[in-house]
Amino acid sequence: MIDRALIGHVTTPTTLRIDAWRVKLFCQATGERDAVYWDEAAARAAGHRACPVPTTFLKALENEHLGAAALLALMGAPIRGVLHAGQSFEFLAPLHVGDTVEICRRVADIYDKKNGALTFVVVDTDYRSGERAVATSRQTMVLRSEVDPA
Amino acid sequence: MSSDKFPPRLALDWGPVSAVDLALFAAASGDHNPLHLDAEVARDAGFDRPIVHGMLTMACTARAFTAALGAGSVRSLEARFVGVAKLGDTIRVEATLEAVEADLARYSIAARAADGRDLVTGSARVGASPLR
Repeated sequence: MIDRALIGHVTTPTTLRIDAWRVKLFCQATGERDAVYWDEAAARAAGHRACPVPTTFLKALENEHLGAAALLALMGAPIRGVLHAGQSFEFLAPLHVGDTVEICRRVADIYDKKNGALTFVVVDTDYRSGERAVATSRQTMVLRSEVDPA
Repeated sequence: MSSDKFPPRLALDWGPVSAVDLALFAAASGDHNPLHLDAEVARDAGFDRPIVHGMLTMACTARAFTAALGAGSVRSLEARFVGVAKLGDTIRVEATLEAVEADLARYSIAARAADGRDLVTGSARVGASPLR
């Protein structure tokens, strides 16, 4: 049983730089072949001020701030058997290689389904660059009690 | 639904997903959950094979849009992981244009494994030009 008192828990923000090598590795790992993400000339030719970041890249950066495993450890829940049930993003402003991003996460909700067989943990994330909000996201994880008996 | 700026359907195939793909994504994403990497851990959790990171399937989903409309075209993206993709699966992402409002289009999304299992349902809002 995860302590419901964790609802509302907010992480201490960290500021991370978007490094070119990390974006390129992300592209290699996701089958992305568009050179705009790692070739500055290609990026400018396509109208970007610098290399843009892939759509879901912020999630990788977020794992350096505080990923699901670290978050669950904070809750005293093992990562084993945890599944990603849902994910959403809202993109508010463009981000480029070389930018810095401040990341902060908040436990939005914890609730049970199927008489406690499943526990859902909902975590919202804010991403800011300088004074500007650049994106938000919501992650829903599901913990299965038959895999991790309480 | 038709539009001169937005294709009525978008599709992308990716796979078969190999163990190397999953290890590379674990490194690139920082998600080192052994459920994606270790067959024994996956079996203990009730899966016959290691499972594909939901975020890897979602990255492919996003790519279906950016391949057609360019980097920075996605304004919002929402995925419900209704099934589990596994090592060896080929993932097919399909997006269907639902509506065009001002300069943005709304698509519904369905990702399935090659054998027909549902993996992702969701939606996206996209622009024909990058977010400024």
